[in-house]
Amino acid sequence: MESFQLLLDGFAAALTPVNLLYALIGVTLGTLVGVLPGIGPAMTVALLLPITFTVPPASAFIMFAGIYYGGMYGGSTTSILLNTPGESASMITALEGNKMARRGRAAQALATAAIGSFVAGTIATALLVVAAPAVVSFAISFGPEDYFALAVLAFVGVSAVLSRSLVRGLASLGLGLVIGLVGIDQQTGQARLTMGVPQLLDGIDVVIVAVGLFALGEALYVASRLRHSIPEVVPVGRAWMGRSDWGRSWRPWLRGTALGFPFGALPGGGAEIPTFLSYATEKKLARGATREEYGKGAIEGVAGPEAANNASAAGTLVPLLTLGLPTSATAAILLAAFQQYGLQPGPQLFDHNPALVWAMIASLFIGNTMLLVLNLPLAPLWARVLRIPRPYLYAGIIVFAALGVYALNATVVDLLVLFVLGLLGFAMRRFGLPIAPAVIGMILGPMAEIQLRRALAIGAGDITVLVKSPIAAVLLLLAFGALLTPLVRKLAERRQLAPTHIHEE
Amino acid sequence: MSSPDTPVSGAPPTGAEERDKRRRWWRPELVLALVVLGLGVLVIVGTLDVSAAASQLGIGPRFFPMLVGGSMVVVGVFYVADVLRGGRGDPEESEDVDVDAPADWRSVGLVSGIFLAFTAVLNVVGWIIGSALLFFGLSVVLGAQHKARAAVVGVVLGVLTYLVFVKGLGVTLPAGPLQGVI
Repeated sequence: MESFQLLLDGFAAALTPVNLLYALIGVTLGTLVGVLPGIGPAMTVALLLPITFTVPPASAFIMFAGIYYGGMYGGSTTSILLNTPGESASMITALEGNKMARRGRAAQALATAAIGSFVAGTIATALLVVAAPAVVSFAISFGPEDYFALAVLAFVGVSAVLSRSLVRGLASLGLGLVIGLVGIDQQTGQARLTMGVPQLLDGIDVVIVAVGLFALGEALYVASRLRHSIPEVVPVGRAWMGRSDWGRSWRPWLRGTALGFPFGALPGGGAEIPTFLSYATEKKLARGATREEYGKGAIEGVAGPEAANNASAAGTLVPLLTLGLPTSATAAILLAAFQQYGLQPGPQLFDHNPALVWAMIASLFIGNTMLLVLNLPLAPLWARVLRIPRPYLYAGIIVFAALGVYALNATVVDLLVLFVLGLLGFAMRRFGLPIAPAVIGMILGPMAEIQLRRALAIGAGDITVLVKSPIAAVLLLLAFGALLTPLVRKLAERRQLAPTHIHEE
Repeated sequence: MSSPDTPVSGAPPTGAEERDKRRRWWRPELVLALVVLGLGVLVIVGTLDVSAAASQLGIGPRFFPMLVGGSMVVVGVFYVADVLRGGRGDPEESEDVDVDAPADWRSVGLVSGIFLAFTAVLNVVGWIIGSALLFFGLSVVLGAQHKARAAVVGVVLGVLTYLVFVKGLGVTLPAGPLQGVI
């Protein structure tokens, strides 16, 4: 129960007025960027990195955690109220949520999403409290070869799972790894891939990469294919739901949480798979009249996936905090934020900075509660945010992207690098290369290299040292397995194509 | 290679077929695939310049870049082959994107041009004027209906961000000719 005591200390730290204010700013900003199409939590945290440099780390991470959780809440509002398909993680919610909204049940859809997110977020954060110390005590014995194998698993997992095409996922990963290589080698001081440009000696800043790939890339992509119809937003009042909705929602919430948390913790698990699995489970479990409702707005189809979505966000924090292993783009940016403060997530973080870690975890509980209060009565406000004319929205996104990047070093050179990366982000979106592997590759790549070199130095150049540890061997085997998943999936799809079609009808 | 008067039955006209055939191997995505492949080669070539420190135990600064470069070349070859064989990635879906619409290159070009012009003049005109112009230009290109309103929003945004970030948060932004006024 040592961690319980530490958690209480964390609450004491997070409940100071200043930190409560940072949590409130975080969840509000997070909901805002979650609601708005075109920007997400990853880019928002990246943009705030240079600005929060003067803020103490605990406050900064309380705010970042709020943005992360808030983004999940906001995304559901968009997919329920906006009549257009969105990104993959929220698309499942839109399946039933948007149908409910159009049948006049928008308030109930928003309520089950918000309360479900609260329930899932709270349970999953509690699971994080239990799981984190256990993982830490296991990971304390990890050697560099184990960390290298973990990084390889994360690379392959994210690349193989996020894209339907393995080669495109790996290409994205490679682009990120190359960007991460630019600059001075940390161990020998040699300049690598700088092409003689002195500004590149320090490497390409993660802020520029994230803002370029996410914000500018998205804005250029939207410019190329902007929907010119005015976004149709379903009008809604205060979010609430009745007794029968509660009765139909609570089981899907719990099942969604059970699916979301473990998948979030897995490299490449992300939010897409558990939300989809939760939807499929609820649909399969539905009986009688409820079953008929699927496709017309079944509340279970909103409750389950939304809970899974939020639980996966908490799950992502387990490998991030205990192993320093990011499994999503936002987690990768958070890792970069830790590094900016000279902190390295991993077992040592729990040892050396327990106050910071537990304050952050405590703030997740607080932020979750704030989000519930923020989202239920204020639903009409967020609905209005959705009506922002798109030309203003994307012009504003580019202005803030320029602001954040210029603020880094006050040089125009950074803006040009930003533009080049924006073009890359545009091309990646247009041709279906997932962005997350590039971000993870860029941030985790240099760390993977350090661990690899450390492992080989200990082994005095003997390459078999990489598989001598049973943990590393298992992890590398898993990575190899992940490499094969798209192939297996393709084969399975081919075999099941005919039967599933009949089944669906 | 088919001549225009070759009889075709049940097939589209030969002109379209010809274009179709050319399109079969030439796709814009090929450029991205070649960039991936080219970057791999570039990484390998660029790493050859790095002089490895001989005293290092284990591996030096060249090993990992070589590994990355080599993997990029392999992935790049597969990627190019995939595009040539007709594979295609699914364009990313997003709330404001009409995936079926043809690409509007004029907008992309104008957005790019405006952004580059902004970077060129930023240090001369300062943040407030520069960002207001950037916002105004972008929103008009992206289809803002009321130009006057876009201009007002742009100026307000420029002034507000300057006040909040420079006066409030101590971020460095160029003041330009308005130095001393604000």
